[in-house]
Amino acid sequence: MTSKNFDDRALPPGQLEAPAPSHDLLNAIRGMKPVRTRTRFGALAAVALVGLIWPALVLTLHAYRPDLAALPLGWVVVAAALWGAAFVLSLTAALVPRRGDVLPAPGRASRVGGVALAGLFAFALAASAQVPGVSLRPEDAHLTLVQSCVHCASFVLEIAVPFLVVGLYALRRLVPMGRARIGLALGAAGGAMGGFVLHFICPFAGTAHVVLGHVGGTILAAAAGAALLPALLRRRS
Amino acid sequence: MIAALHSYRLDRRPPLGSSLAPRVAVVASAATVYLLVPWSVAVDPEATEAAEVMGRYCRGDAAAFHRLYALLAPRLLAYLFGLLRDKAAAEDILQVTFLKVHEARSTYVLGANPIPWMYTIAHRTFLDEVRKRKRNRVQLTKDGTLQAEPAADLTGVPVEAGQDEAARPDPAAAAVALAALHQLPENQREALLLTKVHGRSTAEAAMIAGTTQGAIKQRAHRAYVTLRGLLSKPDGASPGPAPRPAAEKEPS
Repeated sequence: MTSKNFDDRALPPGQLEAPAPSHDLLNAIRGMKPVRTRTRFGALAAVALVGLIWPALVLTLHAYRPDLAALPLGWVVVAAALWGAAFVLSLTAALVPRRGDVLPAPGRASRVGGVALAGLFAFALAASAQVPGVSLRPEDAHLTLVQSCVHCASFVLEIAVPFLVVGLYALRRLVPMGRARIGLALGAAGGAMGGFVLHFICPFAGTAHVVLGHVGGTILAAAAGAALLPALLRRRS
Repeated sequence: MIAALHSYRLDRRPPLGSSLAPRVAVVASAATVYLLVPWSVAVDPEATEAAEVMGRYCRGDAAAFHRLYALLAPRLLAYLFGLLRDKAAAEDILQVTFLKVHEARSTYVLGANPIPWMYTIAHRTFLDEVRKRKRNRVQLTKDGTLQAEPAADLTGVPVEAGQDEAARPDPAAAAVALAALHQLPENQREALLLTKVHGRSTAEAAMIAGTTQGAIKQRAHRAYVTLRGLLSKPDGASPGPAPRPAAEKEPS
């Protein structure tokens, strides 16, 4: 036997004679009733609807940042679109199966979540905007940079929590494999929504604050999703 | 901090109508399509039949369950046997897999291909079984003796299953090949089994194993390289006896 024999032709699809269904299985089938099946976008709609309540309330009730009107409109729109796109793409990748599939694809979810995080990080690093004299610095609010970052990162995590909780419920039977990857995308989506809200309400516009506080909070949310989803689903199963 | 945030309220929202917004929307839509839509949607008659049968099963048709079982149980069993090399355990996991499919049938998306989904459930059940086995390392039969592993040929078919002698590969060569296969790390073995033996696409194999397509391709390639190394040794240098399947790190 050489390696030449061990190619595709030497490995035909294995066919074993399967045993008859067990008694337990037959009993379960005997009492079977029709079930209502899932739709591809059902979980996405449910998680988005429930998860968006809290961010919408914050945006409605909270004061906007003082420099919003003074900032270049194009930058405001592009930055908001990036945060929004990161949210939509990550959430979709985490919850929506590809056409013809039953389960969301973990590899695609982690790839989309990772690309979204990298894009946000690069944009915040390269294209932060502030208006001297109008945009606030942490010192103006008697805070250190670290304190302001911790505050915003914890805010991002607060916004991400409903997405993680509702997402976990929606995914309870949908992620047999690749739970950490799906959790990463779900956390990134929640974090991106937190960043989207902060884009309109956070008065600090410095690059260091946005990168560490806003994008850092989003990365923390993604890490929390990647760590929590496997642990909680394993405990449940 | 909160007070500082509250002290700034704008009287009006900035106008959002700008020529930039439609461009951003177009780019975002294109990115969504690129990332979410599969590039090639092949029509697989087997998948079509499985989807149709699964649809009837979800509507409560017991005959459809039996058809689905006849359609997929042999290949799931062969896959599990390839991973475990223990026919009795593979049969047990097969039954648990179908029970799980029955319980989870409400999560099925009508019209979708159920085959990769069922492989994924089988794979999850296999990992749970391996974890359980790790806790109970010694497995005894009812009369208190150690279980003997059934002999198997290259295709994963047990010798006692009774197949055409002419169609059966050379037993010595098959033993060497199986021993080599079972010397591979678990993740490489599963990638090779899924893509080369069971004919799953890399996308399906990635979903079943819970990883990326790139990782599946890399694992399958590494498995080939290792197998070539093991099998190109002189006849006297057999890969040796196959080790018991060991639980490796669960793919995340």
